[in-house]
Amino acid sequence: MILIIGGFAAGKRDYVRSLGYQDQDFTREIGDGKPVLWGLQDLVYQNPEEAMELLPGLLEKQAVICDEVGCGVTPVDPRQRLAREQTGRLCAALAAQAQKVVRVCCGLPAVIKE
Amino acid sequence: MCPSSELCPLTLVFGGSASGKSAVAEDLAAAGPGPRFYIAAMEPYGAEGARRIARHRQMRADKGFETVERYTGLKDLRLPARGTALLECLGNAIANEMFSSAGVGPEGALEAVLQGIEALRRQCSRLIVVGNDVFADGAAQYEPSTQQWIAIMAQAHRRLAQQADRVCEAVCGLALWRKGAAE
Repeated sequence: MILIIGGFAAGKRDYVRSLGYQDQDFTREIGDGKPVLWGLQDLVYQNPEEAMELLPGLLEKQAVICDEVGCGVTPVDPRQRLAREQTGRLCAALAAQAQKVVRVCCGLPAVIKE
Repeated sequence: MCPSSELCPLTLVFGGSASGKSAVAEDLAAAGPGPRFYIAAMEPYGAEGARRIARHRQMRADKGFETVERYTGLKDLRLPARGTALLECLGNAIANEMFSSAGVGPEGALEAVLQGIEALRRQCSRLIVVGNDVFADGAAQYEPSTQQWIAIMAQAHRRLAQQADRVCEAVCGLALWRKGAAE
């Protein structure tokens, strides 16, 4: 599994397309058999309490794309705070098991684990 | 200054707040051929803003930069001579076009700023543009107009990074080269 992270609209899906994946390979759901999951942060924000339970399903994917969301001020709202925290923890757990981790900035990919 | 048909080399410097991106960009510009122009996109607000800007203007004058203030309509700016220009920053330039009464509004802001940068590249020997990393703090929490600004900023950064000869991320005042290399 390749983990692709980066800020909002950084060009992460374009990078995955450059690896040869087509639009029909992309999904926002875990259990549908498609190889590329994108927008992981939204799945976490929908149910932050149980975010870590997504891990086994995510590891079945060929590529997982997630926004980096942790660089601003800590949110006042407790649920937002938990969701932000869980997004970071989940990405760290994914990165630990990923074959490759790529961080995309301004459309430029940088391999940070291989 | 008569615009040429050739685009000069472009360097994009981006980073978070207080990452040292301005200092990195000024050093890169100071290494370029003179005369040197600093194109300021930030409108001064109030007495404190005016004082800060006066201080920065003096600091840059000491480094050999002439300051040119330009908040909107970048593509119509004519520099007095061909040299090195530093545009600071994309965040202000785009916000001014989106929200200021003199700007083109949210729909045309991206193209207005990108065309402005292209016009500057026809008048310079070297252009350095300062961007802002505002993309990794959870964009969804902001009000719609701020989210729209972040989305346009992201497009501008991707487009400029693609066009640029060199891209560097400023981290703690250090230049982390993401495209091209240090000279």
